Amino acid sequence: MADEKPDVGTLVDEAAKAIGLPIAPQYRANVIVNYERSMLIAKPLLEVEVDDELTSAPVFRP
Amino acid sequence: MTDPLSKQATATDIARAVMSAKVKAAAVIEATLTRIETSEPTVNAFTDVLAERARRRAAEIDAGTHRGPLAGVPFAVKNLFDIKGLPTRAGSKINVDGPKAQRDGSLIRKLEAAGAILVGGLNMGEYAYDFTGENAHYGPSRNPHDTTRMTGGSSGGSGASVAAGEVPLSLGSDTNGSIRVPSSLCGLFGLKPTYGRLSRAGSFPFVDALDHVGPIARSVEDLALSFDAMQGWDPDDPVCTDRPADPTAPVLNEGIGGLRIAVAGDYFAKGGEPEAFEAVATVAKALDATRTIVIPQAAVARSAAYIITAIEGGQLHLPRLRTRPQDFDPDTRERLMAGALLPGSWYVKAQRFRRHYRAAVQKLFKEVDIILAPATPCTAPKLGQVMMKLGGVELPVRANLGLFTQPISFIGLPVVAVPLHKPGGMPIGVQVIANHYNEAAALRVARHLEKQGVASAPAA
Repeated sequence: MADEKPDVGTLVDEAAKAIGLPIAPQYRANVIVNYERSMLIAKPLLEVEVDDELTSAPVFRP
Repeated sequence: MTDPLSKQATATDIARAVMSAKVKAAAVIEATLTRIETSEPTVNAFTDVLAERARRRAAEIDAGTHRGPLAGVPFAVKNLFDIKGLPTRAGSKINVDGPKAQRDGSLIRKLEAAGAILVGGLNMGEYAYDFTGENAHYGPSRNPHDTTRMTGGSSGGSGASVAAGEVPLSLGSDTNGSIRVPSSLCGLFGLKPTYGRLSRAGSFPFVDALDHVGPIARSVEDLALSFDAMQGWDPDDPVCTDRPADPTAPVLNEGIGGLRIAVAGDYFAKGGEPEAFEAVATVAKALDATRTIVIPQAAVARSAAYIITAIEGGQLHLPRLRTRPQDFDPDTRERLMAGALLPGSWYVKAQRFRRHYRAAVQKLFKEVDIILAPATPCTAPKLGQVMMKLGGVELPVRANLGLFTQPISFIGLPVVAVPLHKPGGMPIGVQVIANHYNEAAALRVARHLEKQGVASAPAA
């Protein structure tokens, strides 16, 4: 994982635009806090290696 | 036998009394409704009380038209289960404007087919994205053992109603710990079955990949009886297993002979308050379990469960976040918004890791049958408490009450939460974890602990 920290405020603003989610100014700061918290909690997962052969196990049955 | 009209009566006590005509189901329901009326101002467990429906149903039972192993047993359900004629709140204000359920959820129908009587819908954290039992729209459910404290969530009303003795049995859902956390903080027995074992049809979803449903009760026999009544394939839930039902009540009293039991070390032995680990040690001693094993990569599992939850939850609620953000609970809204924005690659990686982790834990179950771990890192925090100290570190309550439950439900292992009560203190639970589809083993261990007097769940 790159060590360079993203600008989470910009990331949130642009990602919200991309998925058509308006975020009112009064909610924005806490969305950023939660995004940053998710980044922190995701770290152990993002640091682990998984084999190419390891696929997920979806339940979809045609 | 306990008086079937008292608040300490278990579902088993009531069913036996009704089946043997020692008490009328109508009398059980009247006593239940009176207790609900008395307790609700302090515990706030119910959002909907179905007095007339319950009375009609009791009359049918008394007329002999609906006998079964749970005859006359009052129960209530987390309000994310469909109840015919009511909107399915799922703890929200928004859903109240939605359609009314056309029929009861699958598990309600199964319990009623066994003779039980639905008496109401229960308070919960909004859209189940919660470990506290607090709710901005309906007020917090309050812990009957100390009403200034949290019940735990998100099945907060499911814990409060049973711990207060309003009903002997409730249903909850558990995505990351929402049956086990309130069971621990309210001092109750709770069963989170194997992923897919019980049908989720007719319940409002949260995270399809991780959602489970199951019972909370004050006795292990009640868990087994209700679990057995609810088992079976259901084509309306694509995740529901088509394995044959595996009745647990007949083997409940077989004891722990032949079961290899170990304590989870490493991740599960740190990051909590001393009472969490003392409870595990007490249970291990009672079971003569001296072995410690390490569940590998549990911290990564917790991380992956968190990411799957955030992304699926955010995606599920995106239409409502766009149109009615002001109508969400403030404690839910911005977490869901953030989840909707997280990278899809994180989600896929979490799902791929899930399969790897499942294989690694499966290996452990070649050596042991039962693993013990804390259910919560502490006893019930105060209502409104935002931060707590765990192992000397200041951490947010919401994100961390499920620290020890998340890595287990992540791969759908069955767990019975067993409660320990200390005189003068708040209760706390221990997870009794078994291999997939081996609920029977976890229930046998819980029953053994109950018989020994190590675990108990008295109404407050």
